Amino acid sequence: MSAEGVIAQRSPSVVLEVRGLVKAYPGVKALNGVDLEVRQNEVLGLAGENGAGKSTLLKTLVGLVRPDAGEIYVRGQRVRLRNVVDAANHGIGMVFQEQSLVPNLTAAENIVLGCEGPAIRRGFYRWATMRALAQEQLDKIGSTIDPLARTDSLTFAERQMVEIAKVLRIEQRTHNSPVIILDEPTSVLEPSEIETLFEQVRRLREFASVIFVSHRLDEVLDVCDRVYVLRGGQSVGEVRPADAVAGELHRMMIGSESHEDHYHGSAVTRDETPRERLTVRGLAGATFRDVDLDVRAGEIVAVVGVHGSGREELCKALFGAVATTAGEVTLDGERLDLTGPRAACAAGVGYVPAERKVEGMVGPMSVADNMTLAKQRVRCAGPVIVPKRQSDIVDKWISRLSIRTPGRRTAIQRLSGGNQQKVILARWLVGGDVRLLLLDHPTRGLDVGARSEVYRLMRELAGTGVATLLLADSLEEAIGMADRVVVMSDGRIVAEVPCPPDRKPSPLDLVKEMV
Amino acid sequence: MSAPVTIRPSADAAVVKGGPTRSESLTSLMPVLALVSLVIALAAAKPGFLSQPSMTAVVDAAAPLAVLAAGATIAVLCGGIDLSIAALASLSSVLLALWLPTLGGLASVAVVGVAAAAGALQGAAHVFLRIPSFIVTLGGMSLFSSIALVISGAAPVPVTDDGPIRWGFTRIFDVVPSAAVVAVVVVAVLAVLIKATPLGSWITATGYSEPAARLAGIPVDPLKIGAFCVSGACAGLAGVLLVARTFSGGPTMADSLLLPAIAAIVVGGTAITGGHGGLWRTLVGALVVTLLRVGLSVVGVSAAYESILYGALIVAAVALTLDRSKVMVVK
Repeated sequence: MSAEGVIAQRSPSVVLEVRGLVKAYPGVKALNGVDLEVRQNEVLGLAGENGAGKSTLLKTLVGLVRPDAGEIYVRGQRVRLRNVVDAANHGIGMVFQEQSLVPNLTAAENIVLGCEGPAIRRGFYRWATMRALAQEQLDKIGSTIDPLARTDSLTFAERQMVEIAKVLRIEQRTHNSPVIILDEPTSVLEPSEIETLFEQVRRLREFASVIFVSHRLDEVLDVCDRVYVLRGGQSVGEVRPADAVAGELHRMMIGSESHEDHYHGSAVTRDETPRERLTVRGLAGATFRDVDLDVRAGEIVAVVGVHGSGREELCKALFGAVATTAGEVTLDGERLDLTGPRAACAAGVGYVPAERKVEGMVGPMSVADNMTLAKQRVRCAGPVIVPKRQSDIVDKWISRLSIRTPGRRTAIQRLSGGNQQKVILARWLVGGDVRLLLLDHPTRGLDVGARSEVYRLMRELAGTGVATLLLADSLEEAIGMADRVVVMSDGRIVAEVPCPPDRKPSPLDLVKEMV
Repeated sequence: MSAPVTIRPSADAAVVKGGPTRSESLTSLMPVLALVSLVIALAAAKPGFLSQPSMTAVVDAAAPLAVLAAGATIAVLCGGIDLSIAALASLSSVLLALWLPTLGGLASVAVVGVAAAAGALQGAAHVFLRIPSFIVTLGGMSLFSSIALVISGAAPVPVTDDGPIRWGFTRIFDVVPSAAVVAVVVVAVLAVLIKATPLGSWITATGYSEPAARLAGIPVDPLKIGAFCVSGACAGLAGVLLVARTFSGGPTMADSLLLPAIAAIVVGGTAITGGHGGLWRTLVGALVVTLLRVGLSVVGVSAAYESILYGALIVAAVALTLDRSKVMVVK
């Protein structure tokens, strides 16, 4: 135990309290003074856009992230959570979004894993005891899963139940009612499974407190007793679903000021007769099929869809980074070679990946090397790098995009997220030959200021005739940035919604098409 | 089409400091510091050490090791590893001894060519069959050893006329070992090739983050095959140098050089996880390893203990240089 003694006596019904939590990462403050209260036997909702600080907050609560400042109280006692075991000892457990079960073990083994207790004697498993322990946990949540089933033979929803059963074992440590955190539990569930999960959550409320996180507002309002809205690493409000509607929640999540920048207005001047630039006919791959899509020069088309709609794969397929099985793609009337990223690069296609740190930048390499990585010829004469050419072109783009860096030789990992992203964007611009930009969540993890710079850049590029396919971070971003929104569901394009600056659809219009 | 775009800066983003941090520059200087302190220590322990003959001997002894390790450094920089280098060098020595009578001066070229092809073959197996380079080259090591044993009849193959390969073991101006010159030239050529062309950033990107490299349109597969090809060629050249000094080829002649070569790479400060390091570093590493071996004999420790030294050196150097923030799970 790592309690620091009783600091203050809080209201007895408050199980978990968070005060002024701060966590900064290079370039962005993920948490900026979050306050939070979880009461006994309630389902508390956390709502917020991507990057609002939800996951960081949750990770702090289970000891995976150490806050820079702020306090956490469990039943009035200040605690320091150093790791998951610490958190479990204080009765806090989390069901992870990307599940944490070991696939080649049985459900029972997974449930007792790490906290075997009487299931192990003298270093050996006692299978009967373990099975009984697991059964007891599964009974608590009314699940009929066979404890001896191998985990990888279960469906996603069943595995989630196993996870909940596993997390509930922390009850044995605290002899108090636990706090169970469910991080985006519905994101890959079928509607019927979601209903089962909600029943489960309501059952949990009988003997535990639940923190429920989802980006689906209807769900949050449906299942939660209270909802906190996070924005920019702060809790900006508390809502009771009884008297709240989704629209109000939405407004709080987005904030009032952020809209203005998304919308084009008259910022873009365009060709009078826009040409078809990208045409996709009957494209099919592992997770998408029958995709027909056109993007004109100077047009921004956003593709929206829920997790599993196939839009990420479609985006990568157009860059040749995942395989296609059928279909024809042309760029300015010429057949686009989809055999690999190299061919796509040569054809003037640029791709900004969602995972900037893994797929985009090469961390220890310099800004100059990162910027010229895909278009080496801009700094070379023949096969040899000419330092003068390199410094000219790199410095030009550093100043054009206002990239905040001490110099072109600085390792890109020292820059803030927004500036890193600008370097990755510049990677496709230095060649001067980019015709189609595929932007996969280009503003993910960026703060507000950096985000609006990326928006402005996107618009100016569109103004020069670049065709853009955008996978936006949020519906608002898609609607705000795009001339047209294409809705994907189950690997097919199911709707196309025009988005002219003067007649923007509402997010709810799009959600209807997505489900 | 050019994109005349300008962007006003946002108010955020404190300006970050440039240049490497103090601990980074210290880490990168460490191999040189180690080399200097070793020389000083040895000079103190054995007064005659700084004399020209003993320095020449050290440099000469380090040369085949440096050539061997230089090639493998490229494979490591690309994020792989080549465990077959020593066995391939042994095989090359046998081939050279067998081919010298018929091919004469061309034998060396042929041997290096064959070794390069063997390396490229391993690279192709690694890339196209998607097998970890560790496993491919472990298999290659076994394969090459066996071929060497079979074609040599499991015995050293003597060289009767060493004329065509004498260039590999002479003293230039009676002072500078020719093998050392070969080593420096190999390192310099590879280093310049990497520095002056996009190959450097391609290799770094591939070694540090292969997904990012692929998505930037870098020809990752040919690059890796090329790296293993260079590694093989260097192993072949190291085999030639060894034959030149022993007047024979032996099926296990270079086998004991595998650990020292890996040690030279990591002691030089090249990250075993790829992406970070360099050729000159490996040259320094080879000198450090050689000096330590000399140091052991100066102190009077039996050569039987040498492998303890290499083992400890590899583990310690990796412990010091491994960037653990990048490696989530250490396997």
